[in-house]
Amino acid sequence: MRLEKCWFCSSTVYPGHGIQFVRNDAKIFHFCRSKCHKNFKMKRNPRKVKWTKAYRRLHGKDMTQDSTFEFERKRNRPERYDRNLAENTLKAIKKIDKIRSDRASDHIKNRLKTGKVQRQKEARKQLELGIHLVKAPLALAQDSSLCLLKIKVNVSQAQTEENQPMEE
Amino acid sequence: MVQYNFKKITVVPNGKDFIDIILSRTQRQTPTVVHKGYAISRLRQFYMRKVKYTQQNFHEKLSTIIDEFPRLDDIHPFYGDLLHVLYNKDHYKLALGQINTARNLISKIAKDYVKLLKYGDSLYRCKSLKVAALGRMCTVIKRIGPSLAYLEQIRQHMARLPSIDPNTRTMLICGYPNVGKSSFMNKITRADVDVQPYAFTTKSLFVGHTDYKYLRYQVIDTPGILDRPFEDRNIIEMCSITALAHLRAAVLFFLDISGSCGYSIAQQAALFHSIKSLFMNKPLIIVCNKTDLQPLDGISEEDRKLVMEMKAEAMKTVIGQGGEPTNEEGVLLTMSTLTEDGVIAVKNAACERLLNQRVELKMKSKKINDCLNRFHVALPKARDQKERPACIPQAVLEAKAKQAAEKEKRKTEKELEDENGGAGVYSASLRKNYILANDEWKEDTMPEILDGHNVYDFIDPDILLRLEELEREEGLRQAEEEGDDFEMDGQELSLEEQEALAEIRKKKSLLIQQHRMKKSTAESRPVVPRKFDTDRKFTTRRMGRQLSSLGLDPSLAISRARSKSRGRKRERSVDKREGDGRDAMDIDDNQASKKLRLRSTSRSRSLSRPPGEVIPGEGLKDSAQKIKAIKLAKKSVLKRNKNARRGEADRVIPTLKPKHLFSGKRSIGKTQRR
Repeated sequence: MRLEKCWFCSSTVYPGHGIQFVRNDAKIFHFCRSKCHKNFKMKRNPRKVKWTKAYRRLHGKDMTQDSTFEFERKRNRPERYDRNLAENTLKAIKKIDKIRSDRASDHIKNRLKTGKVQRQKEARKQLELGIHLVKAPLALAQDSSLCLLKIKVNVSQAQTEENQPMEE
Repeated sequence: MVQYNFKKITVVPNGKDFIDIILSRTQRQTPTVVHKGYAISRLRQFYMRKVKYTQQNFHEKLSTIIDEFPRLDDIHPFYGDLLHVLYNKDHYKLALGQINTARNLISKIAKDYVKLLKYGDSLYRCKSLKVAALGRMCTVIKRIGPSLAYLEQIRQHMARLPSIDPNTRTMLICGYPNVGKSSFMNKITRADVDVQPYAFTTKSLFVGHTDYKYLRYQVIDTPGILDRPFEDRNIIEMCSITALAHLRAAVLFFLDISGSCGYSIAQQAALFHSIKSLFMNKPLIIVCNKTDLQPLDGISEEDRKLVMEMKAEAMKTVIGQGGEPTNEEGVLLTMSTLTEDGVIAVKNAACERLLNQRVELKMKSKKINDCLNRFHVALPKARDQKERPACIPQAVLEAKAKQAAEKEKRKTEKELEDENGGAGVYSASLRKNYILANDEWKEDTMPEILDGHNVYDFIDPDILLRLEELEREEGLRQAEEEGDDFEMDGQELSLEEQEALAEIRKKKSLLIQQHRMKKSTAESRPVVPRKFDTDRKFTTRRMGRQLSSLGLDPSLAISRARSKSRGRKRERSVDKREGDGRDAMDIDDNQASKKLRLRSTSRSRSLSRPPGEVIPGEGLKDSAQKIKAIKLAKKSVLKRNKNARRGEADRVIPTLKPKHLFSGKRSIGKTQRR
C-alpha cells in the first residue's frame, strides 16, 4: 500500500481515492479527485494552473530545493527489517516534517516581506498627504499630535418618535 | 504415403450438378449489376472477372479431384493391384486423364475469351463474349459427365474398402469356399463376417485385428478361391489372389477334412499346388478344419497322402525361413471352429511363426544394426573369480540414510494446519522462517503510512546521522532568522497613525462615491443648481459639525454665515438708515423694521412647507404643476412586478425536465420530438 502523488495537483492520494490512468506507453497517472482528472482530460498544463503545486514551485511561491526533500526518496531495494531502524525512522519522520514545514513557512514569509515594506511606505505617504481631510492644517499647526476629535451626535426627541412606527 | 484410407476423397459431382454449382457461385460471388452507361473499361472488367472467376473455380475443383484420387503407380502394389482388379487400371487412368484435359481446355477457353473481352466495345458485345465463354466451359464439363459418374462410383466403393496396412503383421486366411475361413475369423477377432451355408458368402476382403504377445496382428479374410486357370478367375477371386501375392503375411491355408464344403480333399490339394507359388517366403500353416465332423486320423489313405504332401511343401517354407526343421508342430494343425477346439492353438502358432520370420528378417537387414549398436552393454571380461561389487563411501550412505529419516521426521505445514483445526481455522504464520538479526522481531508489524508519508521511503540505515546534521543546520538557520527579524520593526505606524490613516481612507472613499453619483446623474439628466439647496445640506449646523471634526472652532464661522444669510438685503437697508440719521418717517420706518424683524425671526424658525407649494428656484410653474410632478415621481418609484425574479437576467428554471412534457404517448402521430 503506497501513498501516491496526484499528477496534476501533487497532493497525496490515499488508498481508496482517486483514479489511475495508464496510457498506451505504460505511463501511469494518478489523480486525487475528479477535478484533477477532468483538468487532465482537458489537456491543461498543471504548470499554468494557479492552484497546483507545480505552478507554485515553478513560480517560486513555494520552497523548491531543500535538504529535507532528500530524506523522502523511493528506494527500490528492500531492506531487511530492523526494529530499531524502524523506530528511529518513525521518530525521524515527525521531526523532518516539522523542520520542513517551518522552512516552507519561512520561505513564504520572506517572500511576502518586500511587499510589506512597500505597503508601509505607501501608507506613510498617504497619511502625510491626506491628513488635511481629517484634521485641518490650522489645527495641526497648533497641536501636532494626530489624535482626532470624536463627534457625538445628539439624536433629538422628535426623531426618535418618528423612528418607532417605522420599526414596527 | 496415404494411410490407405480412401474415405477422405471429396465427392465428385456429376456433370450437371457441377455446372450448376460453379455457375451459381459465379453468380453469387461476383458483382451482378452493370449498366450500359458505365465506362467501357469498367464493363470489360466486369465481364472479364466473371469469365476468370468461373475458370478458376472449375480449375480448382477439377484439380482437387485429380489430386485426391490415388495414383495407382505411387501406392503400395497391393493396393494398386487391388484397385486394378476392382476397377480396371486403364479405365481409371482414362477417366482421370479426361478430367485433366477438361481442365486444360477450360483454361484455354478462358484465356482466349479474356483476350477477346479486352477489345469489346459495347455492353452487348462483352456480354455475348462472356456468355459464349461460360457456355463453352459448361459444354466441356458436360462431355466429361460419364467420367465424373464413373469416378464417383469408384470413390464410393473405395471408401468402403477395408483399411489394410500392408506393412504390419498380417495373417491371411485362404482356401476353398465354405471351408470355415470366416468362422475362424469371427472366432479370433471382433470382426463380424457373414457366415452362410452357400459359397461365396464373403465377396471381398475383410480385416480384423487380434493380439498376441502384446502385439497387434491384422487378420485378413479372403473370399474363397476355386481351382481354375488364372485367366478365368473372376474379380472376387482375384481379390484374394492379389492379397496373397502382395501382402507379406503368414498364410493359413484352410482345408476342410470332412468335405462338407462340397469339395473333396483332392480338389483342395490341387488348388494348393496350383497357388503354392504364391506362398514363397511366407510362413505357411495348413489348417484342417471341421475336425468335429471328421477327425484327421479318420481320413482315407489317399487323402492322407495328399495332406502329407502339402505338409511337406509347408515344411519347405519353414526351412527357408531359418526355423528349426525338426519342428513339425507349427505346420499342420487341426481345429474345429464349431467346438472351438484348437482355434487358439492355430492362432498362436501362426502368430509365432510370423513373428519369428519378421524378427529374422529384421535381424538380417541393415537397419537393425543401428539399433543394436545402441543396445550394447560392454562388460569387462572377468580376470579371475573374485567378486568386485560397487564401492560407495560410508559417508554417502550415512547421509542418504539421514536424509531419509529426516524426511519422515520433519513436520509439513499441511500436518500443522490439520492439527490446529483445519484450513478455515488455522492460518499459517508466513513469517516463521524469516532471517532477522533478532528473532523477536519476526512478528512485528511495521506501519506503512505515517502522517501522509510512505514510511518505506524514509528508511535508511544512517538516518540518525543525517537527522542530527539536519537539526544542527536548523538551529543555525533559526538563529539567523531571529537576527533578521529585528530589522523590520522600525517602519511600522503607531496606533494613532493607523487610526488617522483609516479615517483618511474612509473619507476618501466617501468622496469618491459621491463624486461617482454626481457624475452619473449630471450626465443623464439635468440637476437643480447648487444654490437651491433642496436637500438642505448647506446648513450652519452641518458646517459646524464638519469643522469641529477637523479640529477647528466653528463658532466664528457660523455666526458669520448666519449674518450673511437670506435676510441680507433688509439688514443692509436697516444699517444704512441707521447710518444716515433718524429724521424723517421714523415711525413708519420703525414699523417697517419691526415687521421685518418679526418676519425675519419668524422665518428663522423652520416650518414644514405644504406639499404643493412652489419654491422659486425649482423650475416649476405653479402649484398644480408641482403636484403633478410629485405624483409622476412617486409613480416611477413604484416597484415593478418582478415575478419573484431578482432582475431581468434571473432566468431560473425550477424543473429542467418536467414530467408532463417528457413522457406520454401521443394520441395521434409520432413522438419523434418533444
